[in-house]
Amino acid sequence: MKTSFSKRVALLGAATLISISVSALPTVAQAAAPQCTPPAAVVSCQGVTSDGAPYVMQVPGNFNGTAFIFSHGYRYNVDIPAAMPLIGGYKVTNTPQPGPLLAGNDTSVMKYMLSKGYAIFGSGFARQGWNADSGVATDVELINTFKTQFPTTKKIVAWGESLGGFMTQALAEKHPELVDASASLCVETGSIEASLNVAGDFLWGIKTFFDPTIKGGNYSAGAAGYAEAMGDLGKVFTVMGKLQKGIGIELATGKPQWPDTTPATITGSALAGIPSRSALLLVGLMAGIPTQSAHFDGTTGPGSVNSSTYTGFALAGSPALAILENGVQSAALGVLVTYDVEQQAGGAIFDNTKTDYTSRVASDAQVFNAGLSGATATGGLLAYVAASPRAAASPAALTKMRALLSHTGKINVPTIMMNSVNDAVAQGGNIEWVSQKYAAQYEAQKVANLKAGKPRGPINFLPVYVAPPAHYTKFDATGLPVTSTPAVSGTGHCNFTLKQYTTVVDLLASAATAGKFPQMGPVKSAIRKMGAIYDPNYEPDLLKFYQDQQG
Amino acid sequence: MQVHRSTSRRISFALAAVTALALVGTSIPANAFSPRSEVGVSGSTIKLGITVPLTGAAAPGYNKVPYAMKAYFDYVNANGGVNGRKIQLVIKDDAYSPSLAKSATNDLILKDKVFALVGTLGTANNEATTKFVNDHKVPRLFINTGFSGFANTKKYPTTFPLFPSYAMEAKIMGKYIADNFPGKKVALIYQDDDFGADALKGFAAAGTTLVAKIPYASASQSDPTVVGKWITTIVGAQADVAIMFGVSSATAAALGGAYKAGLAGKIQWILGSVGSDPTTIKALAPTAVPLLNGAIAASFLPSPADTSDEYVAQFREINAKYNNNAVFDNNVLVGMNTGMLAVQALRAAGKNLTRASLMAAISAKGASWSSAAFSPILYSGTSHVGYAGYWFGRLSASGDSTPVDGAGKYVLYTTDSGSGAVVKSAIKRPAMPEKGLPNN
Repeated sequence: MKTSFSKRVALLGAATLISISVSALPTVAQAAAPQCTPPAAVVSCQGVTSDGAPYVMQVPGNFNGTAFIFSHGYRYNVDIPAAMPLIGGYKVTNTPQPGPLLAGNDTSVMKYMLSKGYAIFGSGFARQGWNADSGVATDVELINTFKTQFPTTKKIVAWGESLGGFMTQALAEKHPELVDASASLCVETGSIEASLNVAGDFLWGIKTFFDPTIKGGNYSAGAAGYAEAMGDLGKVFTVMGKLQKGIGIELATGKPQWPDTTPATITGSALAGIPSRSALLLVGLMAGIPTQSAHFDGTTGPGSVNSSTYTGFALAGSPALAILENGVQSAALGVLVTYDVEQQAGGAIFDNTKTDYTSRVASDAQVFNAGLSGATATGGLLAYVAASPRAAASPAALTKMRALLSHTGKINVPTIMMNSVNDAVAQGGNIEWVSQKYAAQYEAQKVANLKAGKPRGPINFLPVYVAPPAHYTKFDATGLPVTSTPAVSGTGHCNFTLKQYTTVVDLLASAATAGKFPQMGPVKSAIRKMGAIYDPNYEPDLLKFYQDQQG
Repeated sequence: MQVHRSTSRRISFALAAVTALALVGTSIPANAFSPRSEVGVSGSTIKLGITVPLTGAAAPGYNKVPYAMKAYFDYVNANGGVNGRKIQLVIKDDAYSPSLAKSATNDLILKDKVFALVGTLGTANNEATTKFVNDHKVPRLFINTGFSGFANTKKYPTTFPLFPSYAMEAKIMGKYIADNFPGKKVALIYQDDDFGADALKGFAAAGTTLVAKIPYASASQSDPTVVGKWITTIVGAQADVAIMFGVSSATAAALGGAYKAGLAGKIQWILGSVGSDPTTIKALAPTAVPLLNGAIAASFLPSPADTSDEYVAQFREINAKYNNNAVFDNNVLVGMNTGMLAVQALRAAGKNLTRASLMAAISAKGASWSSAAFSPILYSGTSHVGYAGYWFGRLSASGDSTPVDGAGKYVLYTTDSGSGAVVKSAIKRPAMPEKGLPNN
């Protein structure tokens, strides 16, 4: 069995932008007025904000007064050595990005927006990494700069992806006077702590089961810390590669294949008789990583649908392979974002000393009994987890991290949030966190309005989910899974179609103009036609971090 | 979560109300002020849903359950329906996969907008959908699993199990073995999840000494090396009696493996109720037939071959006319029996049918309803426990089961899922309603 990892891992940090060059722009911390091309079908402007963030603005000749500011997603804030698998050779870049890109750096979304008369603009931010605080400040300045430069602007729509979506929601919470509508796509919500917990739990699990030499956090300051993080990254990719190979053998022979870096406490015990795929699946469930990925649906096997081979692979093999495929992204981010935020916070930030992993997976252990090799094996693995040393955070660093920008979940302007249900980085539970808060907000607003003799008020929040089809894993003639095809819609990080982006654009423009979304009928119809779900009764699980808090 | 859902619904309703009010200026529809109808219920229909494996290794046998249920509903519909409404059954394939069960259940509730789920199959699959079912307060009736935990009304407030629990079954089986195979060495193969945990609990309560406990992960029965270990362990333990506590595909694998190992006639096999479906066993492992012949199996419904039983006779008639005369086996019997209980529940909930009234009706009156099982039904205001008893039969090569003791008569043993005693019970079953049409 050969499984090539998703190339989208590389795209997480390697955003590049259309044909706009910023090489000549100053990058000092001093604002530079926009320098614009002469009037044309599309006027392009470039400049730098006061904090040094290069930006671009593109305004069509038929500008209709609605402008979209885009905040791009997380880009690594360190260069990655060329020899690193999957993401090697990455160089830190602050190339500005005024809109989302489709696979292959396709700019069709932005072309569509310009053709409809919308202006687009965005920066590359002054620093990369987790930069929500400074990023929102950059966006605030940029909106004002744009409105000054183009005084016919009537409405501002903010949107962004991943970390940029996080910033967008924060911007709309803190500065509703600047924003008329917003969309956060493939978004993490709440706080950096919640999102880092997913990656942190997964990374800790990989370290604990498969390679205890992975440091997994608490990196040193300066160059030593960078070297430790890069070392971890290499080890994580290496051990995931070993697991990939081992799982293939396990599924073919039924014989457990643990990586050679597995601790002796496992290889020298009865746990070694459990397939490593079961331990990997357990780690994914502990962290809340989706059990469906770009190429593994957890429901399909090779051969005849009525064969035991088909069922066996679907139930026992596919979920673990999905965790493997999703987990590469999660573990890579676990290393790089942890390193990044630790440098900002001044110490270790991941803490699982009080995490009850057994409780977390109580229900999943039943559902994924086949993949976990039965309750006895699961119990053994969980006992090992319970006995393993935990990661403790530095209280001072935790305090600093918690002081970073976070969300209240308040919806001030018409807002869309859209995630793939199987996004390894930004799970659907992120949106559910906001949905729950908005439900309370709406209820309070309704009561107040009715008391004042007013209508209840419009629905200003649309939680949208993109789900994959029930079956999508493909097999070649020899029965091996095919992993070279593009990620299926409903999987992957920020993996949306042109239709999905443009539908969101049109809904936002309409809402910005009207101050509210259209009637629910047309909204639901539009969302259904773009292949997504809008149903207030659809409720993905919250992130494990929030489930723990709710008890 | 709860706040979100209810509020969101109110949001939707508020919008609908605003829209409706805008239309009121010129004319008011006659039904404008009638009570809001329940999801899945119209003036002429009641929509129910079921998830079940229609494809995959678990499909043979189980795939007959929903069509038998639908046949029974069609029969009732042809005779006037329930309080003037016809029952529609939406059937979704889950291939015995919890992931597919989740998406299929989501679709049933959100897209098909069913009023209630009925007969959903599998312990893991019902567990996988529990949160969604609970959040939406959808009644989940007469589920096809015997995990005792589903009777926990706090954790599964809308779920009404029907089968006697696996814990009851194991305890009763332990008692039966103690009475009939004293001093024999007993080995147990069990599915290593809640299903098997129930079995271990039951055998422990019965005081059964097991010379070998052989767990297997769900679905691993497809691996010949796994099955090979079962057999070598049984042989190594010198077991006289082997209990198979798993689904029928696992039983097929075990009996097939035992035959291959030359164990035909050397070990007495005792099969759990959900693992003794001859249709499945014979389809998956034709070589298992010699061992199937003579195996002892626990059941709570009468033998499908017993045409002297009034329920079996009536259901066979309905099967002939409304189910393309499918081979009448235990799966067909389960499907029709579940359908008949569902009809009684819907009738008891009254004309103004709501999800709340349906669940209240089951709690208040379910214990008195007609049912093919010899066991009493234990639903009450505080109990979601369904059946509580088993009888033992011996299988023939064709898979027919006849009572093993009591001179050919059914002998029922009842107990609870805890430490209560196993007792031989008198069978007092409500009579089959005339023509099989409930009149409660």
